[in-house]
Amino acid sequence: MVSKAGKPSSQEILKKNVLNADLCTGCGACVNLCPYQVIYHDRTVQLHRCDLDDGKCRAFCPRWEIDLDLLRSSLCDSADLTPEIGAVKDYYLSRATDPKLREIAQHGGTVTALMELALTEGVIDSAIVSAGNHQQEQRGFKAIDKVSLQKNAGSKFTVSPIVAAFNQIAAENSGNVGVVATPCQALALAKMRLKPLQDDAGHIDKLKIVIGLFCGWTLAQEKFQALLLLNNINPATITGMDIPVGKKALVIKTGSGEKIISFDHVESCIREACRYCLDSTAEFADISVGSARFGNEWEEMRGWNQMIVRTARGSKLVDLALHRGILEVRKAPDGILKELKEAAAEKKRTALENIVKKSGSVKNLLYLNNSDPLVKKFMVKIKR
Amino acid sequence: MLKLLSPANREVLFMGNEAIARGALEAGVNVASGYPGTPSSEIIESLATVGKERNLYVEWSTNEKVALEVAAAASFAGLRSLCAMKQNGVNVASDFLLHLASSGTRGGIVLVTCEDPGALSSVNEGDSRYFARMLEIPLLEPANFQEAKDLTRWAFELSEEIRNIVVLRSVTRMSHASGNVICGKLPVKFRKAHFVYDGSIMDPLRGHVISTPVVAKHSLQQGKLKRATVLFENSPFNDYSGPKKPELLLITSSACFLYSREAIDMLNLQKRTGILKMDCTWPLPPKLLKKHLNSTDKIMIVEEVLPFLEENLKTLAAGMGKEIGIKTFYGKMDGTLPSVGELNPDVVAAALAKIMKVKHKSLPAAYTKELQKAAALIPARELTFCPGCPHRASFWNIHNAIALDGREGFVCGDIGCYAMGALFPATGYHTTPTLHSMGSGTGLASGFAKLAAFGFDKPILTVCGDSTFYHAVIPALINAQHNRADITFIVLDNSGTAMTGFQPHPGLTVSAMGELVPSVDIAGICKAIGANVAISDPFDLDGTCKILNSFVADKGSLNVLIMRQICALSPEKKGKKIFDVKVNEALCLGESCGCNRLCTRIFRCPALIWDRSKKKAVVDEVICAGCGVCYSICPQKAIIRTEAEKK
Ligand SMILES: Cc1cc2nc3c(=O)[nH]c(=O)nc-3n(C[C@H](O)[C@H](O)[C@H](O)COP(=O)(O)OP(=O)(O)OC[C@H]3O[C@@H](n4cnc5c(N)ncnc54)[C@H](O)[C@@H]3O)c2cc1C
Ligand code: SF4
Ligand code: SF4
Ligand code: SF4
Ligand code: SF4
Repeated sequence: MVSKAGKPSSQEILKKNVLNADLCTGCGACVNLCPYQVIYHDRTVQLHRCDLDDGKCRAFCPRWEIDLDLLRSSLCDSADLTPEIGAVKDYYLSRATDPKLREIAQHGGTVTALMELALTEGVIDSAIVSAGNHQQEQRGFKAIDKVSLQKNAGSKFTVSPIVAAFNQIAAENSGNVGVVATPCQALALAKMRLKPLQDDAGHIDKLKIVIGLFCGWTLAQEKFQALLLLNNINPATITGMDIPVGKKALVIKTGSGEKIISFDHVESCIREACRYCLDSTAEFADISVGSARFGNEWEEMRGWNQMIVRTARGSKLVDLALHRGILEVRKAPDGILKELKEAAAEKKRTALENIVKKSGSVKNLLYLNNSDPLVKKFMVKIKR
Repeated sequence: MLKLLSPANREVLFMGNEAIARGALEAGVNVASGYPGTPSSEIIESLATVGKERNLYVEWSTNEKVALEVAAAASFAGLRSLCAMKQNGVNVASDFLLHLASSGTRGGIVLVTCEDPGALSSVNEGDSRYFARMLEIPLLEPANFQEAKDLTRWAFELSEEIRNIVVLRSVTRMSHASGNVICGKLPVKFRKAHFVYDGSIMDPLRGHVISTPVVAKHSLQQGKLKRATVLFENSPFNDYSGPKKPELLLITSSACFLYSREAIDMLNLQKRTGILKMDCTWPLPPKLLKKHLNSTDKIMIVEEVLPFLEENLKTLAAGMGKEIGIKTFYGKMDGTLPSVGELNPDVVAAALAKIMKVKHKSLPAAYTKELQKAAALIPARELTFCPGCPHRASFWNIHNAIALDGREGFVCGDIGCYAMGALFPATGYHTTPTLHSMGSGTGLASGFAKLAAFGFDKPILTVCGDSTFYHAVIPALINAQHNRADITFIVLDNSGTAMTGFQPHPGLTVSAMGELVPSVDIAGICKAIGANVAISDPFDLDGTCKILNSFVADKGSLNVLIMRQICALSPEKKGKKIFDVKVNEALCLGESCGCNRLCTRIFRCPALIWDRSKKKAVVDEVICAGCGVCYSICPQKAIIRTEAEKK
């Protein structure tokens, strides 16, 4: 659809360059802004045509016109910046002090513990986390207390349109908001923080804390659902999932014990968009949390997290958590940070390679800009 | 007293269809049946109003074929009967008609077909006169209102004279226009029904009423047609007016007679041209035509829609070439007159002027040019659903379910008000790419669903109205179930045949004559067929869309959703608002990002108006039906609905 000014409409841009190009991350940044863009299962659907050419949907999409350099220089302290994993103020191995919380959490429970603190301290009035249903369908969920936070602890590996929930909750006038976000979702929120549009200024100011998750990929819901059924796993009985280091398999915990699906099968369910994603550590979050997965120490370390503190906001919350004794930290073993950076750099290179393969030219980096200094840095070895 | 029962010799203003009804009453009709369809419906409707007084049985049948069967039974029992339908209804009835025409009839029976040249309220402009030729039965076409009555009455006599069914054909401009008619006598005696079948097989009045032995009965049938030809030769209904030796002879029938006469008057050609008005158009009476063909060398045939008269006349002329010589024929076949659409006096006059080499005072060129300029400024107005129409909500739900499903599913449309969803794509939210005859949506859907084997993986939906369901959908639905066609079948149940004016149908509990009758449950039928059935209120957008989504995603079963909500114009509902609806201007986002006029740009209820100066939506309270659906779609909750006060 063409706008009144004769330009392609915002919707058309998303449709052509993001949705139909298989770049959509399902973050939900373009959803709940208007009646036209909605999420169904984990797909972003354009319900009716809209002819506006300067819309919010396009403005916030993490897969359209991303200027990494501008985002970094505007939102981070330049002194903290690393090319591979963004801003790093502090780097820890951490876990929740409460062993009961660790029980129900994915790894060390750092994310849930920090969100609980932000809620009880009044930093935020609600936290957006991810709630799933038996079809492995995720939705952003507004948690306002410990109980609902803990109920939704643990990782779900299908995509969750978290930012759609943010759009809705921020418009509700229900106070300040914290968000648990994957890297693409954190990127969408970062785009909003740059305030590309006047009228939305009020909403993004309610965003007080973003806790990012490390992320290698997410799974496409409909495909994954089919894979589970193929393996005779009743999705309703699933209590948790993880990817143990070195196992090349997805371990699915169910009411009747663990089931293992080989990675060869799981890979076919990975969302296509993830192949073009440069970020593995949620570089635009305030705090980023991942597993403490290193080599042979997995069994011991699986109850711990890696945590990167990125912004002043993040520092404040983590310092408070340490002060209150909610989190415990230990020094990361030598070389771990280097390992993390190398892995992050590798994801960036692979993504750029895939982008070039898709576009057919080193000059066309789809949603990225080939003159962006950060992009250039990882483009070195890539030829068309 | 009812107009239809006016005493003899009184001059009454009748609509063409009322004149036909009056003609039937004067003929002492006992049974009248039909299926509603514009422009035919008023015949059965008006007969129903006098059923009690005139000792008449009147029914709306489930479809045209059944209607004709009901009327035929009366004829077999020696009664007079009339069966009314629109042009394409004859196609539905035609299988039975073929066999009826060869078995013959007893009491007078007239099939009235009201046709729609130009398709003013149809999706075809079929010309069913060809059935008369193909099935070898007589055809009559009244050319004015008086004749609409008189010819109908005579049709019953003709039918009894030849013991076969007679077709009477009207057109929209005849059925729906009105004119003065002098009434004849209404009979005082009523017939009793007797069905006798104890005679020899070839005895038209006492044998079995069947079409066998076929060849012998066929020959009998052709004999009847010959008898009709003889009667037509001297019928006063075929009438010539004009000079003895016209330069040009117009041969015409039906409303085209009126157009032709007006065209001649417009051009002042009364002295140079003559008109032969033919009411008896099949079989053509050869002697009469020979006489008139001999009076001139140039003949123009004026008729709608196809060149039926023209073809038959030319065939006849070819056979008498030696006696009448070579003639020049003008008409549709040589392009003198347009071969499609309605005619009118102007079109006829233009053709006439060309042949007669006179000036046709059409509008001055400059004026026409101005007119065209002005016309371009008038926004092209699409027809759309009424305010508060349940079909709008239904298509909204269907569109959303298809869009969410994401496999580019589509709807096979069907005939009823909801055909608007196919005729005007934005009205059906671009869901419905096919539209054909009644019931065909389900048959097409059944076929599309079987294309999966050829790589066609789209969800297939189809819609039909409640009346259409009974009419022709049931066999297609059984087909879908039996052949495992994976479709979502949607009944748009608005509790009436709204498109043609709320005639009752088998789902209701009142008959055409106002009697209490058992209703036939659609859901029950679908369940009995083996379908999975759900019922929803289309105004409940969330609930309906959820069911639809699960149906569309479901593989391997026939799913039926009955969307039930009374038509906004139905007598029960009209004027009674459920909600008072208005727009809170402070909340309305208008065309800015976040809404971009969802209500007036996409949803498009005619009661929602875009105020250009304020840049806000407003509700036109006068036409708003108070359904409150727009409240559910507004992203801002700027459309407010409050329970309307009960008046
Ligand atoms: C799709 C996905 C991929 C990941 N890939 C990696 C990886 O490659 N390497 C790595 O080190 N770590 C990865 N993680 C992060 C890891 O699984 C843990 O979430 C992280 O270590 C935090 O652990 P925790 O015990 O503090 O979390 P918890 O205290 O259990 O809290 C987890 C929080 O994440 C939310 N959440 C769960 N699923 C989603 C989702 N799909 N989208 C958004 N939020 C969600 C929960 O609602 C909860 O609030 C991934 C997480 C996800 C969801
Ligand atoms: S966000 Fe704005 S521009 Fe985009 S679809 Fe919605 S109304 Fe249109
Ligand atoms: S990536 Fe996010 S913002 Fe972009 S189209 Fe997909 S869901 Fe919408
Ligand atoms: S849908 Fe609501 S917000 Fe949008 S223009 Fe209509 S009344 Fe205004
Ligand atoms: S309530 Fe809304 S949708 Fe219904 S008739 Fe009124 S304006 Fe139209």
